[in-house]
Amino acid sequence: MMARPRRSRTGGPSSRDQPTTGREPGDEGAGTGPAGVPAGGVRAAPRHLVSALAGLREPIVVILLIIGFMSWISGKPLDGLLILLVGVSLAWDAGRRSRPARPAEAASGAPPAPVADGPPAPARWRRPALLTAGLAGGVLYAVVVGSFSRYSWPATVAVAGLGAVVVAIGWRGPRHTRPAPPRPPAAGLALWGAVFVAGCLWELWSLLEQPNLATSSYAHPTISTLTDPVLSTWAGRSVVLAGWLGLGWFLVER
Amino acid sequence: MNGHDLTVLGYLAILLAGIVLQLLATRTRAPIPPLGKVIAWAMSTRTRRVGILVAWAWVGLHFFAR
Repeated sequence: MMARPRRSRTGGPSSRDQPTTGREPGDEGAGTGPAGVPAGGVRAAPRHLVSALAGLREPIVVILLIIGFMSWISGKPLDGLLILLVGVSLAWDAGRRSRPARPAEAASGAPPAPVADGPPAPARWRRPALLTAGLAGGVLYAVVVGSFSRYSWPATVAVAGLGAVVVAIGWRGPRHTRPAPPRPPAAGLALWGAVFVAGCLWELWSLLEQPNLATSSYAHPTISTLTDPVLSTWAGRSVVLAGWLGLGWFLVER
Repeated sequence: MNGHDLTVLGYLAILLAGIVLQLLATRTRAPIPPLGKVIAWAMSTRTRRVGILVAWAWVGLHFFAR
């Protein structure tokens, strides 16, 4: 017992979730390791459940699950289902990666070590060209998708498709290799968090003050209700879509 | 002031608080990070990165998708 080597799990934070199955460290990447499938197929289900539950320690996972649930009960089952699906996947992934060593997390989640800046000479001209093409594509997307009626199937496919692509890109890892940014001061993070939470709570309060979740209220408008006049026009939709695209681009480039 | 005005005022106050924080972060030596640095830090792990991107996708879905 005492002889169990501490690094046998490559320094994992806990050994409490290590069942007495004699698994080797290589088993940690269930479903993603070289073997692909865990050795004990029958035992895999509870292990995945434990991983998913461990992933609930990530606040963003809890936030996603809440958003998904609220979307579902407020008459947007597609939104809700997609977000719940990603939330559960993230919970499982976060829980799985919280058990092995930090290096494993760094390999899959954190940015890799910095590399020398400056693209090779032949690539220098490609960046402006790609930027121009991206901007043109974004404008075209905003104009075309903005021409579709809200909540129509063409708009749904266009927005959901782009969203899925961007999330998939984010799942693969950062697009650029740069040093991991330092953790900002806790007080500053708390202040930003307070503003964010206040916004969410104010929106939630407005939502709950509606006659029901699917009927808007003039007295207690949600942000959706307030933006309805803007989004009722082609130009308004295109401008908002362009802003949404710009925000997505900004996030993907982080 | 009716309920509508109060609700809108609440949104504006929260927006104003964000602007003030950003100004404090960029114009003073207060230990407040600019929003860009907060986001860059938040995007440094897969869980948070994907979570934030899903939240972004949800905004699009919420306003445009059925």
